[in-house]
Amino acid sequence: MKCKRVQRLIPLIAGDEITGSKASMIRSHLHRCPLCRGEYEKYVLLVQRTRRWLTEDRLGWEEREWQQTLKKIMSEKEARRPSIIPWPFPKGWAFALMAGAVLLITALIVRPPFVEKIGLKPRYTDDARVETLKANEEGEQQEVVSMTMVSKETGLKIVWFFNKNFDLEEKQ
Amino acid sequence: MWMKDEDKLIEEVLQGIDSSFELLLQPYRQGFLTMAYRVTGNVEEAKEVCQDAFLKIFRYLRSFKKGRSFKTWAYRIVMNTSFDFLREKKKFEKVIEIQKKSFVFENSEAEKRILNREIREEIQNMLHILTPKEKAVFLLRDGEGLSVWEASKVLGCSQMSIRTHLSRARQKIRDHFEKKNLFISREVKT
Repeated sequence: MKCKRVQRLIPLIAGDEITGSKASMIRSHLHRCPLCRGEYEKYVLLVQRTRRWLTEDRLGWEEREWQQTLKKIMSEKEARRPSIIPWPFPKGWAFALMAGAVLLITALIVRPPFVEKIGLKPRYTDDARVETLKANEEGEQQEVVSMTMVSKETGLKIVWFFNKNFDLEEKQ
Repeated sequence: MWMKDEDKLIEEVLQGIDSSFELLLQPYRQGFLTMAYRVTGNVEEAKEVCQDAFLKIFRYLRSFKKGRSFKTWAYRIVMNTSFDFLREKKKFEKVIEIQKKSFVFENSEAEKRILNREIREEIQNMLHILTPKEKAVFLLRDGEGLSVWEASKVLGCSQMSIRTHLSRARQKIRDHFEKKNLFISREVKT
């Protein structure tokens, strides 16, 4: 390992942030190189000293202050409680429910085919009429024309068939 | 404190046993206050930040995932609350002045517990030359004794990034030490 690379890693090895084979390679270099070793010793001193300073210079809570802080937190908590019955779902569930509601509302407004299938929208297709119009457009001569009438109240269906002379042939 | 105990305490807090919340914070209360103080540079503001952070911890405890480290989660909240506090008040430039004043005028019990004014001055001078990220990494690792992995969880970045920032922070402090002859001249009185 070269000095340049070792010197880049010295700040970390001095604080034991590098371990394993890399650390042993650096240490063997430090054993051989007095220049790098000098730098390493400086960093070790620095780390030891700063750690000791930071450990010694610590703030503490007075018991009275600590209790007051906790009391404040508890009172704030009571004040900010949103409702008597807490929302039972974590955020993910709330989001999923919201997304579902938005999708359903969109579906009802746009009315894609599946909405028609489940019967929310009546079908207004008149296939027979369309077929007749198509046939007429194509110039075909029709032999028979039928007309169906369905009672809304009883469901009775009457089909009238007319031949090309418009003679009525009634079937029920 | 074992993680198992913490999980049990969290369960109790969620069930409405308020006294468990105190027990949950007990091992870290000094660390949280010191961390907030190092970032804000003022004891009273640090206490205010801690209060806000504790309230956040209490309110978001429901979203805390079991089996994870409460320590790193809580430190993250305290750290973010501290930096948010600074950002909101735009006090970055004023911090050092406030700290210098506080050496002279603050007289609370917490202040009296500080062992040596000179040490504190050195620490604040040291921290002043670091960027916020370097400061955070340096304080978590060398001040609070968190591992590189724990620091990465607190700050939400990779372990590689933690090592890079820590290395830069130490290099800057080394230069500072060199400039002030701290390697040779003196061991600051303790």
